[in-house]
Amino acid sequence: MNQTPRALNRVILAVLGLALMLLGGLAVALALFPGASGWWQRATAGAGERLGRLLAATTLPGQPVSWLWAVAAVMLLVLILLLLAWAALQGRGRVGTLAVDGDGDGTPGIVSLSAAVAEQPLKAALQERPDIVHAAVAAYEYRGVPGLHVRVLPRQGASPQAVAGEVMDLVEALDLVVGIHPPVVVSIGSGARARLVRADRVH
Amino acid sequence: MTQLRNGTAGTGRAAAPDGFRSSLARRELHSSRAAASVVAAFALAALCLYVLLEAVLQALGHPSWLLDPADFAAWLHRLPGNASPLVLGASGTLLLLAGLYFFLQGVLPGRLHRHLLPSSRGVVVVDNQVIAAALARRARAAANVGREQVLVTISRSLIQVQLRPTSGIPVSAADVQAAVEDELLRTGIDPVPPVRVRVSSSGVVGQ
Repeated sequence: MNQTPRALNRVILAVLGLALMLLGGLAVALALFPGASGWWQRATAGAGERLGRLLAATTLPGQPVSWLWAVAAVMLLVLILLLLAWAALQGRGRVGTLAVDGDGDGTPGIVSLSAAVAEQPLKAALQERPDIVHAAVAAYEYRGVPGLHVRVLPRQGASPQAVAGEVMDLVEALDLVVGIHPPVVVSIGSGARARLVRADRVH
Repeated sequence: MTQLRNGTAGTGRAAAPDGFRSSLARRELHSSRAAASVVAAFALAALCLYVLLEAVLQALGHPSWLLDPADFAAWLHRLPGNASPLVLGASGTLLLLAGLYFFLQGVLPGRLHRHLLPSSRGVVVVDNQVIAAALARRARAAANVGREQVLVTISRSLIQVQLRPTSGIPVSAADVQAAVEDELLRTGIDPVPPVRVRVSSSGVVGQ
C-alpha cells in the first residue's frame, strides 16, 4: 500500500519497450534484407542533410558551433533529473504520523499520533504468538489516508485463516485503544525463515 | 502527510469505502513493476549522461571523448555495409529482446502468486506457498504419511496434491481429497480451484 506510481511505471516501460523493439527490428531488418539498405541510406541522407542545414542555421556568427548543442545539453540534464525522480518515486509513502487531531474540542493545539504507537505494540504482540515466526508492521500513506501494512511469516503449515484471525483480533484491540480505524493490509507470506524453523511445535 | 489535517483523526468512522478497499487489494495482488522501472530509469539516465557529456564538449568546441557525433551519424548512414551482418543482427536481436521484456512488463497484468482471504476489516492476502503448506499438513494427517511424502502445488486454476504412500500401507485418495477440500473451504479463497489428488503407485520404504 505504498505510493509507487504503478500506472506511470507501466506507461513508461511499455513506451520504452516499443522504442527498443523498433530499434532492434530496424537493425535486424538491415542485417537480413539487402533491399532495406537502399531505403535506409536514402532516408538517413535526407535526415542528415536537414540536420546539417539546421546546425548551420543555428550557428551564431563568430561562433564555431551551433547553439543547439547547449540547448541539447540542458534538455538532457532535465531528462536525467526526471529519470532519477522517477526511480526515487518507487516504494515511497512510508509515514511517521498515523493520525492528527487539530480541532480538539476548541482547545488550542493539536494531538498527533506517531506511527510507532501502532507499529510497536502490534509487532510485539504478533511475535509472541507461537505460530508466527516473524512480523513486520509499517505505516504507509495511500491516497492521502495513513494505513498499516502488516507482514507476517507464519510457521510452515499454519492455517492462513487462523493467522489472519489472530492479526485482525490484535488490530481491533488496537483500534479500541487508540480510537481510530486506519485501513489495514495484512500480507501472510512465506520465506526462508518460515521454512527453516520446525513445522510443529509442542506446548 | 501534512501535520495540520483533521480528516483522519479521532472520530472512529468506518474503516474504508469499497473502492478504496478493492484498489488496495488489487495493489497487493499485482506486481508494481518497481524493479524493472528502476533498472530502466538508471540505464536510460546513464545513456543520457554520456550523450550529455558529448553535447557539452561539442557546445564548448572541444574534441569529443569517445564518439564524434558527425562521425557517428556518418557511420549510421553507411550502416549495412560497414558492419558484419552477424554483429548487426545479433545486437539487433538483443535490443529487440530487451524491448520485448520492458514492453511485456508494461502490458502484462503481473499477478503475484497470492490469494485474497475474506476479512471483516482491512485487506488480507496470503502467498500461495502458505496455503499449500496448510493443505499439505492436512493431507499428511489424513493419509498418515511423513512430511516429505506430500507435495502440493497451487496455481490459479488448479490445486495438485502428489502423495507417495508408505510401502504396504494403502492410502485412500478420496479421503485425502475430502480433507484437502475441507481445508480449502475453510481458508475461504474465492473462486475455489478444483483439487486433484495423485497417489503414486510406488511407495516409500520405512517412514
